[in-house]
Amino acid sequence: MTTTRKAFITGLAAACLTATGLATPAAAQKVEVQFWHAMGGVLGERVDELVKNFNASQTKYTVVAVNKGNYDEVINGTIAAYRAKKQPHMVQIYERGFMTMLLSEAIVPVHDLMAEKKYQIDWSDFIKPVAGYYMYKGKLMSMPFNSSTPILWYNKEHFEKAGFKDGPAATWQEFEKQLYEIKSKGVAECGSSLAGDYFWSLIENYSVVNDQPFGTQSNGFDGLDTEFVYNKTLVVQQVTRLKKWVDDGVMQIAGQGLNPEQLYTSGKCSTFFASTAAHGSVERNARIKWSATYLPVEQGITARNSTIGGATIWVLKGHKPEEYDAVAAFLNFLASPEQQVWWHKVTGYVPLTTTAYKMAKQEGYYASHPTREIAVLQLSRGTPTPNSQGFRFGNFTQTTFALRQELEAVFSNKKTPQQALEDAVRRGNDILRQFEKLNAGKY
Amino acid sequence: MPHTAGTLAEVRRDPGGTAAAPAARTAPVPVRPLGKPASRAAGRAGLKRSHFRQARLPWLLLLPQLLILALFFFIPALRALAQAFLLADPFGTRMQFVWFDNFIALLESPEYQSSVWVTIWFTLAQNVLTITVAGILAFATDRVIRTRGLYRTVILLPYAIAPVIAGILWAFLFNPAVGPIAHALHALGVGWDPNRNGWDAFVLVTLAATWKHICYDYVFLVAALLAVPASLLEAAAVDGAGPALRFVRISLPMIGPTVFFLLVMNFVYGLFETFAIIDAVTHGGPAGATMILVYKVYQDGFVHIDLGSSAAQSVLLMIFAVILTMLQFRYVERNVNYDV
Repeated sequence: MTTTRKAFITGLAAACLTATGLATPAAAQKVEVQFWHAMGGVLGERVDELVKNFNASQTKYTVVAVNKGNYDEVINGTIAAYRAKKQPHMVQIYERGFMTMLLSEAIVPVHDLMAEKKYQIDWSDFIKPVAGYYMYKGKLMSMPFNSSTPILWYNKEHFEKAGFKDGPAATWQEFEKQLYEIKSKGVAECGSSLAGDYFWSLIENYSVVNDQPFGTQSNGFDGLDTEFVYNKTLVVQQVTRLKKWVDDGVMQIAGQGLNPEQLYTSGKCSTFFASTAAHGSVERNARIKWSATYLPVEQGITARNSTIGGATIWVLKGHKPEEYDAVAAFLNFLASPEQQVWWHKVTGYVPLTTTAYKMAKQEGYYASHPTREIAVLQLSRGTPTPNSQGFRFGNFTQTTFALRQELEAVFSNKKTPQQALEDAVRRGNDILRQFEKLNAGKY
Repeated sequence: MPHTAGTLAEVRRDPGGTAAAPAARTAPVPVRPLGKPASRAAGRAGLKRSHFRQARLPWLLLLPQLLILALFFFIPALRALAQAFLLADPFGTRMQFVWFDNFIALLESPEYQSSVWVTIWFTLAQNVLTITVAGILAFATDRVIRTRGLYRTVILLPYAIAPVIAGILWAFLFNPAVGPIAHALHALGVGWDPNRNGWDAFVLVTLAATWKHICYDYVFLVAALLAVPASLLEAAAVDGAGPALRFVRISLPMIGPTVFFLLVMNFVYGLFETFAIIDAVTHGGPAGATMILVYKVYQDGFVHIDLGSSAAQSVLLMIFAVILTMLQFRYVERNVNYDV
């Protein structure tokens, strides 16, 4: 028995040696770095294409892109990997994870990395709502990658049939009348399909566009002691409105087992509040004459910019200097206007720099694709106020979940809008205090 | 209860010919033991003496299992226990010891309390429904003559379907916008909408979880019913007892141990294994109406990365499961007759 065991171990060792022996020559030629992302389906294919282009563009580095599931799974996988000291070099994290990543002590700020590796990047060229969201003390902390903003998608035919030649109205009050008329005239079964991320488009961005504070301390930008205040703003009115729509069948909740976008693209519902990044799938799936426009605004209020959603690429600590050379080279590649324009066109995400936007415009891209420009124009509308520069809340996924649960209680008649928002604020503030306690003095 | 503890223990110790015997404390073997306990016990002692002279070998044989238990149960459980007292950054770069803060916050939170109640009602409803329907189906098996094979296969099929797929299936069938069953319900005048109505959602996940688990109970019940001596049933029939009466008076008491075992298993299933169904059908919503404890542990730990609270919840969940099981052994097992 001992001899067999010895033979087995020797064999195993030999196998290992051969494996490393085979791997070494390849590794000596190119520095390999890992990039974990959350882009599935068509978007995943685009990421693969992007990485392939980078790898083909030079000979020193290889980026390996791995899809690690959805955003939640990616951030969780990253945390687990970091704790096991097996973290990737770059990881795509959603905007809600900003504070967690920023204060994690596990990251290398992108601004510092690019400066150290002597890359000249004009950070001021990044469009404001994007850069502002991810900037801390004047430095960009992570590389903006896929940024979007919600817009209002609508069915042209439905609006024309109901007698609204110009499409959706600019104010919520007028828009509401239109939706009710579309339903009462029998043009469509439902006025609007409620998206899965409606809290982002219809609550958070509603606050931003209408210049309402969501939390104190400039929505968290000025300190960890921020508290939610949306129970005292126009959000109450907005939730009451949405509840009425749902009750009257003007707005439909798709629920589990059905993609809300299908209710819109199939022509069942006339409108859909969703990300501009839905361009890819709407273009492919819609059997209707679709179009899109700006988010509505409350009567008598000047519409502000909307805010972004999406994700950025964070660089993690704990790797070798030459690997950071590769990371910097890749990020530099991403920042180039040509890449930006390509990414913008194939995905529907917004171009991240003014140069890239101008390039697309000069090409005449927006003349043929007018809805692609809405997001950019909406994001850069007016001068940002403390209420419209974005959100900076710790444990933001958790507070958002509390808000969503309370909104569900409104839709299911368990709570009044006011009561639900009070509860959401109370729960959210408890979560914020936990984050403050853990990170006191760090922001 | 005329039976002494001695006979009970002996029956339990009897290997009974199945692999489940060592777990007899929690899982009484459904097949009725036949051999004489005394002689078997003696035989086993002999086996022990002749084969295990050194103390090392049994430990060596145990080692793989102990290792697996340590790696996948004891170490994680201890770490969860430690984590439950910490407020920690997800990346593990810094942490604060907070005593019982995580537990106090949980017990004070209305959302957690509601989750506890949802869990209790869900496991109870699922348990009763599963065992009742499986019992009726098992009872009927003997009465299906022509297509018994087909009948059994159809009942067993759901077991072969992955829980997530089952969940998506149910979510789709009952989706108020596109689901055929939901449409039928609407046509009947039922305002079915699990996306908004918490009660509808609760009914939906309970049905889905039950449907998925009926087959498990069914297999055990059919096997147990087969072991009921035909002579007793025939004697009762001769005395004029109908099929239903024979089932209630003779079969049911005789399959008591199996029913008890299934009750415990159903609780475990309801508490822990329904996770995938909840995830696929409702995500715990609307407004927490189907947020069972185990799903909340996942939500808070793996989606919201609140590790302290999630760990505290899993500790509480374990205590909850242990209490439930103990209660069952104390109050339900009393009425179970192992020695018929």
